Amino acid sequence: MLVKYLLATIVAGLFAGILLTPAMYVRNVPLILHAEEYENAGAAEHSHDAAAATATTTAESAPAVAPHVHDEEAGPELPFGRLGNTLLINLVAGAGFALITGAAALFFGRKITLQNGIYWGLAGFFIFNFAPSFSLAPELPAMPAADLATRQAWWLITVVLTAAGVYLIVLREEIWAKALGVVLIVAPHIYGAPEAEDLTSAVPPTLASEFAVSTLATNLFFWVVLGTALGWAIQHYAASELEG
Amino acid sequence: MAAARTSTTISLPLATRLTTAVFSLMLGVFIIYGVGLSHSETLHDTAHDTRHSYGFPCH
Repeated sequence: MLVKYLLATIVAGLFAGILLTPAMYVRNVPLILHAEEYENAGAAEHSHDAAAATATTTAESAPAVAPHVHDEEAGPELPFGRLGNTLLINLVAGAGFALITGAAALFFGRKITLQNGIYWGLAGFFIFNFAPSFSLAPELPAMPAADLATRQAWWLITVVLTAAGVYLIVLREEIWAKALGVVLIVAPHIYGAPEAEDLTSAVPPTLASEFAVSTLATNLFFWVVLGTALGWAIQHYAASELEG
Repeated sequence: MAAARTSTTISLPLATRLTTAVFSLMLGVFIIYGVGLSHSETLHDTAHDTRHSYGFPCH
């Protein structure tokens, strides 16, 4: 077991996860919070609809809305507050993506360095963010969406096919491999992502488009940092291990 | 420059690399499944903002 290599990838992932958190708070989280106002307003309207008379609804809808708001504010989440939870998850996610990237490099016998790290990062961004977002745009709370399990399956299949496609295009010399790689990358988008039947949304479209662009920018930043950090950490901590 | 190019490949045999690569991949996939895809309510609520921000299907 190449322990130093593993530790180096985890260190790089934690570092990228830390930097991701303030980047997320520039645009993404304020937009999520803004969208949740519409989500809660939508819930209130529904309970208004259920009770017909407007005079009684103010009294009746209050308890009906309260549990929903309560769920949003204090669900069964870990007790570190919203920022603390997000930071924790970003650290864990950073380590996870770093481990997967490091594993891929190890499988293919490639060394991630400070110089080529950015390309590994860009590949990760393309595979895990750009390709799935191309047909299944990043969602805000309360946006209309198809069945969750179906979307997750499509997301996962797209990531796997895109990863295989990037491997065939970048790391294989044969012309058939590069052609097959393009087919694999394009296929899930031709098949199409699952779509909601009713596209009526409580969230204004401008918020949604701002969110889609800001998440792509944030995640591009995250992956560039992660790739570069991976190269640096592996060169500094695991070089001796990889010389064999 | 030539030296820099050759150093981007790892000289270790596949057998030496494979254990670490498989372990690292499985751990990474397990983590990303938990962060992004698990239906556990606690994980969903804790990871909520990250899931949205990352573009994982949520809700």
